[in-house]
Amino acid sequence: MLVEARGLWFRYPGQAGWLLRGASAALRRGEIAAVVGPNGAGKTTLLKLMAGLRRPARGCVCIDGASLWDVGEAERLAARRRLVYLHEDPVMLRGSVLENVAAGLLLRGAPRRQALARAREALEELGLSSYADAKARSLSRGLRHLVAVARALALSPEGLLLDEPFAHLDRAKRRLLARLLARLAEEGRAVAVVTHDTYLASRLARRVILVEGGRVAEGGRELLEEASGV
Amino acid sequence: MESLAAIAARSLAISAAATLLAATWSLPLAYAAATRPRLRLAAALAEGLVGVPTVLVGLLLYFLLSRRGPLGFLGLLYTPAAVILGEAVLVTPLLVAVSYQVLAAAVSRYAELALALGAGGGEALALALREAAPELLAAVVMAFSRAVGELGVALLVGGNIEGYTRTMTTAIALYVSMGEFEEAAELGLALVGVMVLVALAVRAARRLAEDG
Repeated sequence: MLVEARGLWFRYPGQAGWLLRGASAALRRGEIAAVVGPNGAGKTTLLKLMAGLRRPARGCVCIDGASLWDVGEAERLAARRRLVYLHEDPVMLRGSVLENVAAGLLLRGAPRRQALARAREALEELGLSSYADAKARSLSRGLRHLVAVARALALSPEGLLLDEPFAHLDRAKRRLLARLLARLAEEGRAVAVVTHDTYLASRLARRVILVEGGRVAEGGRELLEEASGV
Repeated sequence: MESLAAIAARSLAISAAATLLAATWSLPLAYAAATRPRLRLAAALAEGLVGVPTVLVGLLLYFLLSRRGPLGFLGLLYTPAAVILGEAVLVTPLLVAVSYQVLAAAVSRYAELALALGAGGGEALALALREAAPELLAAVVMAFSRAVGELGVALLVGGNIEGYTRTMTTAIALYVSMGEFEEAAELGLALVGVMVLVALAVRAARRLAEDG
């Protein structure tokens, strides 16, 4: 088990009620989990909590058994670096696509030449080499999603938490991304994908995390039937 | 009579110095408000003071700097330093309010991305600042525009002294009162030219921020 969330309670500042009430979920190596549920149920928040980007009011997020919020700053940073979270509306920095893909490595202190070389490889994996010199902010939303995936891949994370990565992709690119995620899982990485597309979820994931009414249910594809009813 | 070019040059220099002075405290304050929820009140206060009349700021500064005022011992009244200080105070709310908006958006947008990519807190904030730089520059240029176009502060604490504290706006007011409309119009056109250049600079900075 790479990431385990146990009994998470969370609400945003100023929010009256709890968004998540004792939510528990796990991400396992070598597996793709589909995170489903109605709008505003807390899917994104659950992923952010699992990635260590938000701190729960109560409950525990463990990465390889170590509680993320009970360790020192340096250890938490090292644990966070094992995962990458991708926002549903990918943020592009000023500069080229290549620089954007290298951004994570540069932020982690990698030498520039090495970071750019790795970024080129990641772009090639996604068939985006021809966009390397394009301005990242001029790309379509779908391409920005793929660039964000390349940016995550460049970091070689053990776990990928993707928020609606298929939302703006055409059919060919959806297929390309689905194949890539399947390959990453085969390589032993943990992948979580937030999606509203239950058909896609059923094809992609064997395990389903249903977020609804502040609670989380985990199970197999049968949970998708419940999700499609919400 | 002092040349119009000399008046324009002094006016631009005073306003540039005032803007830079205001930036030294406004940008850190905006950054603090953007990163510490407890200080958001300072940004709200600044927003409320953006439209404060220049003559009111001038009057306040006059009381502070006049011989019997608490800062009278500095001997700044009717000096360029007084105009610089007054204009810096005048543009502070605008600079804080706009920079706060820019930085709050940048911190929420870019710092979260940086953290998601495994950056530490320091690197995340540095990235947010780097990405916000063009828009912060635009805010500074807007503040300069407000400083160069104001009259109340320059008149009340500068005194419109020829060859010393006379600025474009105080000179225009003087020329109009003397019935010398041609000189007033020439300076007015120069002032409009400065405003147009400032608007173009703001536009260029924003385009840089949007397109990268």
